[in-house]
Amino acid sequence: MSLLEVTDLTVGVKGSQASLLRNVSFSVEPGRIAGLVGESGSGKTVASLSIMGLLPNTLELRSGSLQVNGREMIDCETGRVERTSDELAMIFQQPRSALNPTMKVGRQIARVLRINQGMERKESRDEAVGMLSRVGIPGASRVAEAYPHQLSGGMCQRVMIAMALSCKPRILIADEPTTALDVTIQAQIFDLILDLVADTGSGVVFITHDLAAVSEMCDDVVVLYGGQVMETGSKVEVLDNPAHPYTKFLLDAIEREVDPRIEEKDVNFGLTGCRFGHRCPHAFSACANLPPLYEVTPGHAASCFLLDEELTRGAAATD
Amino acid sequence: MALLQLTDIQKSYGRGPKAVPAVRGVDLVIDRGETVGLVGESGCGKTSLGRVVVGLQSATDGEILFDGEAIDRGQLSQPGYRRRVQMVFQHPDQSLNPRLRVKQMLAEPLRLLTDVPSEEITDRIERTLTLVGLGPGYMERRSRQLSGGQQQRVAIARALICEPDLVVLDEPTSSLDQSVRARILALLRDIQQERQVAYLFISHDLSTVRKIADRVAVMYLGRVVELADTETIFESPQHPYTRALLSAVPRMDPHRKRERIMIPGETPNPSALPSGCSFQDRCPLVHDRCTREAVYPLAVAAGHLVECFAVEDRVAGAP
Amino acid sequence: MSAIPADDFHEHEGGGPFIPPEIDATAQRASFVRRKPLAAIGIVILSVYVLVAVLGPFFVVDPLTTDPSNALLPPSAEHWFGTDKFGRDVFARAVYSARLDLSVGVAIAMAATAIGSVIGVIAGYWGGWVDEVMMRLTDVVLAFPGFVLALVLVAVLGNSIPNVMIAVGAAYIPYFIRLTRAEVLTQRELEYVDGARLAGNSRWRIAFRHVLPNSLRPSLVQATLVAGWSILTVAGLAFLGVGIRPPTPEWGVMVAEGAPDIITGQWWTALFPGGLIVLAVMAFHFIGDEFGGEPL
Repeated sequence: MSLLEVTDLTVGVKGSQASLLRNVSFSVEPGRIAGLVGESGSGKTVASLSIMGLLPNTLELRSGSLQVNGREMIDCETGRVERTSDELAMIFQQPRSALNPTMKVGRQIARVLRINQGMERKESRDEAVGMLSRVGIPGASRVAEAYPHQLSGGMCQRVMIAMALSCKPRILIADEPTTALDVTIQAQIFDLILDLVADTGSGVVFITHDLAAVSEMCDDVVVLYGGQVMETGSKVEVLDNPAHPYTKFLLDAIEREVDPRIEEKDVNFGLTGCRFGHRCPHAFSACANLPPLYEVTPGHAASCFLLDEELTRGAAATD
Repeated sequence: MALLQLTDIQKSYGRGPKAVPAVRGVDLVIDRGETVGLVGESGCGKTSLGRVVVGLQSATDGEILFDGEAIDRGQLSQPGYRRRVQMVFQHPDQSLNPRLRVKQMLAEPLRLLTDVPSEEITDRIERTLTLVGLGPGYMERRSRQLSGGQQQRVAIARALICEPDLVVLDEPTSSLDQSVRARILALLRDIQQERQVAYLFISHDLSTVRKIADRVAVMYLGRVVELADTETIFESPQHPYTRALLSAVPRMDPHRKRERIMIPGETPNPSALPSGCSFQDRCPLVHDRCTREAVYPLAVAAGHLVECFAVEDRVAGAP
Repeated sequence: MSAIPADDFHEHEGGGPFIPPEIDATAQRASFVRRKPLAAIGIVILSVYVLVAVLGPFFVVDPLTTDPSNALLPPSAEHWFGTDKFGRDVFARAVYSARLDLSVGVAIAMAATAIGSVIGVIAGYWGGWVDEVMMRLTDVVLAFPGFVLALVLVAVLGNSIPNVMIAVGAAYIPYFIRLTRAEVLTQRELEYVDGARLAGNSRWRIAFRHVLPNSLRPSLVQATLVAGWSILTVAGLAFLGVGIRPPTPEWGVMVAEGAPDIITGQWWTALFPGGLIVLAVMAFHFIGDEFGGEPL
């Protein structure tokens, strides 16, 4: 059974027709890392906030289901997501601003331990230091006595991870955890996350804009664009045999040496059509509707009408 | 002949014993029409060096030769030098004055730095906007009516409008999305071919530098630790820091097994450096000579400089 | 060579949620009244004030004509706000007051903003001893309550309307200096300032052409509040007999003259002008408060 099963999640702006997520589905298995990859505005952060039940009140959940360990988290009457801190934990892009600046980091972790694990004061203090050394912080007892501003960005991210882990979550949501960090520190944090998954068997939702990071870190990939799942499947399948024009375009932008000049089409598929339609070199009349996910190979699917043999045959005939 | 020759550039912030060194003796040559990549992690002094080159900050010590002439501190802020050495900044949303229209931003350097007659200014602005792929239609826009990529194009146009010989590009693509990034890089390369302008391309992102630089200088704690042509840096790096940096960059290869990062810890505090090599605390090849003697650049091949005793020993030991 | 064209839709900058183009349009259409209800109320109230101040005097009776036989009449169809103890029409006096009070308030706010911002930019952009000296001076001025300071200044300068304006304005200038300086300290670290330097701008040009226009927003918000407070302060001084004096129609003067009548049951002579002051100050506050976070 999946740890996290997101089905047809749709999130919109209150009082507006437009949606930020459209029928987004993916799942996270125990001990695996699922990469949510997309450029800015793709909806990857909205997706993580919906899962955590942290949507800002200007946005609303329109439909869909969110199951953690088989339990439905969306209250179908209010459309709210239950806060599920015992199952889910999240680490953020800007670790320093996610920590309380006026409290020593050791105490912050100890507090989480007391609230979540019901520990005693003394025990929680010792355990906090233990958590800090577990995430690879040298001199953990000294760092526990430091305030966030006294620590480097990499250290703060380790503290955040320690705090997230102290809830013993089954699922860790990592929202661009290393974009603010240097590459060598990023590599250390990546190593840490991989070790944790290997040790605890937790699932990870790894949100990033960097396909190369996906390639290094993840087992499965979900490619998002404009709030729509473009392609989903195992890392090797998606990166080796991309089926969606957008995925191909993204891979080209990284790999290709030649100029990525794409012809812009003068089309607008509006609210209902494929989000990528206006940039897609292959767009045709069918793209005015939202394409469903077509299976490419088992476990690998892409949301593109080019994969619909009937439609493409029809389009070829009319050309 | 070299366009820009830097000799023993030093830059410290603050005075007296509390001074924090940012650049600690850098020698670097940039030829006409070439791109030198300046790579390093945060705090390595790459931005300080770039700002010294354009004259936004004055060096604490060292010599700048531009086009064969020694440039003293006063000349750095004179129109004569400003016209020929320009800069593009990291945050396109901040680097344009939000109150001004594009045409006002572009007219300013022409009016203040050159004697282009005022009736030719509009024509020159239109030509430069076309050069950066925007076209005259953008003249009346303000910064917030532009997307991030368009803002950066305007910033590039502002830097190029006086037809400089050297442009310092300080992380020009790091706040842009991947696909936009590729287009901006391609644009910069096209412009270089047409205008024969030299670039000092400052970046923390090795894969970006690889796409655009002819030669690469790797900085660590205020010194250039390795300098070579781009292929050599990426294919046969010698300095242990360069190697670690390269291994830390995520690769786009879903089949590759991830390597663990070789260097532990974080960049040490530059105000309390140990004697000897500044990389000694994190270096996998450290031996006692590294803690005693000051390192110096060693030519391991033509145009390939490395600052490392371990490399020197290896070269000496293999006749 | 064909330059690589800009990608209009997609080259949006990093960060922030995805806003499809169609939402932008909806947000634009969402009515101003819905988004900023208080500011809308404030604007409506002030528009009425301005209209009355500009046109009102043409339609009402002379505010200075006394008529002892009709003294202290309660509000009626003929005298909307009643008459005072000299038989003058309270409504006519209140209408004439609007002209004086509004223009005095707005003029003080504008002058204080202009002077304060210029000094603030110099202090913030130059820094060093210039900044140090100016900040200590503002500290000294701010150590006095504004009202008391204005009172003392009028006493020194002499009792006239221009002097009242100078005195009240001077008491508010330090707020604008500090606001502008704080914003300049943020703005001068932004990259466009470096860009302006590289474009060949001198220090003066950067300070006044680039940094100052971008540092005005907090001061402009403050200016609407100060316009309201200035009306209150000027009226307050007039109430104490400082500055504007009877028989000039002015809300503060009217309250001062009418206050004793309240005890004897003639509430209208003081309450109407007092209410008008409160309403005007409130209207300025509504506008200032709601525009605090709005791009100007």
